[in-house]
Amino acid sequence: MNLNWPTAELDPVRRLRVMAAGLNAVMYADAHVDLPMTDLWAVASDLEGELPHLVPTLREFRCRPLGGDRQLGWAYGLLGHSARFDVQLRPGWCLMQSSCVVGGMAAVPEGSGTRFAVLGGLRQPWSAPLQRALRPLGRARGLLMVDRAARRAVIRAGGRPA
Amino acid sequence: MRTVRADAPQQGPPSPRAAPEDPWVTAAPLVRAAQAGDAMALNDLLSLLTPYVSRLCRPIALGNSADAVQEALIAVFQGLPRLKDPRALYAWVRTITVREAVRVARRTERETPVCEFADVAWPCSPELAVDVRDVLRRLSTEHRAVLVLRELEGLDERTASGILNISCGTLKSRLHRARHSFRKAWAR
Repeated sequence: MNLNWPTAELDPVRRLRVMAAGLNAVMYADAHVDLPMTDLWAVASDLEGELPHLVPTLREFRCRPLGGDRQLGWAYGLLGHSARFDVQLRPGWCLMQSSCVVGGMAAVPEGSGTRFAVLGGLRQPWSAPLQRALRPLGRARGLLMVDRAARRAVIRAGGRPA
Repeated sequence: MRTVRADAPQQGPPSPRAAPEDPWVTAAPLVRAAQAGDAMALNDLLSLLTPYVSRLCRPIALGNSADAVQEALIAVFQGLPRLKDPRALYAWVRTITVREAVRVARRTERETPVCEFADVAWPCSPELAVDVRDVLRRLSTEHRAVLVLRELEGLDERTASGILNISCGTLKSRLHRARHSFRKAWAR
């Protein structure tokens, strides 16, 4: 009966959901956005131009390609602190981590729109109980980030956000 | 924290019967790094495990295999900090996956008695795939699970019964009925 069963890969949003569970991420949210994936992902993948608009504590983000889907990023916060990030970026998928925090975004087409997901959390294993306790708050913040991405996509497309 | 990169197998183990250890030895540093909170290592481990988990889930959960794969991987990753010996990863993932696939399939059977297959992609040998999935559709979730463990994974009865939380006697009778049902449906 061994028929070399075909395998079904996880789509990027399901994949980010699994990552959030494995990382005990404090922030995870996904939602349907009534915009084409190309418009939404144009925002998400423009890390230097758009990430400071999506993450309120971020003043600037710089990145340098490392080859393939890997990049090296530098984040500068509003209070002057900075952090180096390892970044994996490909269509529909972005994962990044510094020595302390991890972040991610994912998108898949859904009907005429897009399912967009965001993730954020701390890397330290000791923080897992704290992150689990704060998840309701994290989900609300995640949904705000999804909303900000949708608004930026509308603005980039020349429209006015609702 | 240091980031561990997988140079990396993007596919799961080719066949647990052929060489069960090597891919999981490759996975050991990823497991340790993921347990320490390395998201990139966790991501690489996810790439390593997904084809294997998917291969186990599909014949059991059929049209709901995407849900089963996701639920199984969530259970695996949530339990990863408690995995003491990375060399046990293979058997551990298999146990969790089969149980999750059975749970998802049972839940779906309660909600929709007849599975839907229109959204299932079967890229190899379409005619044979149609025949096999038609036969599998006629079997119960329990029969599909026991066939996967014994015929696809090649496990002995004791190990398979442990994974399914049933006695060896129950497994034997269930396997007998599953094989009989499969052959009967195949002959039609």
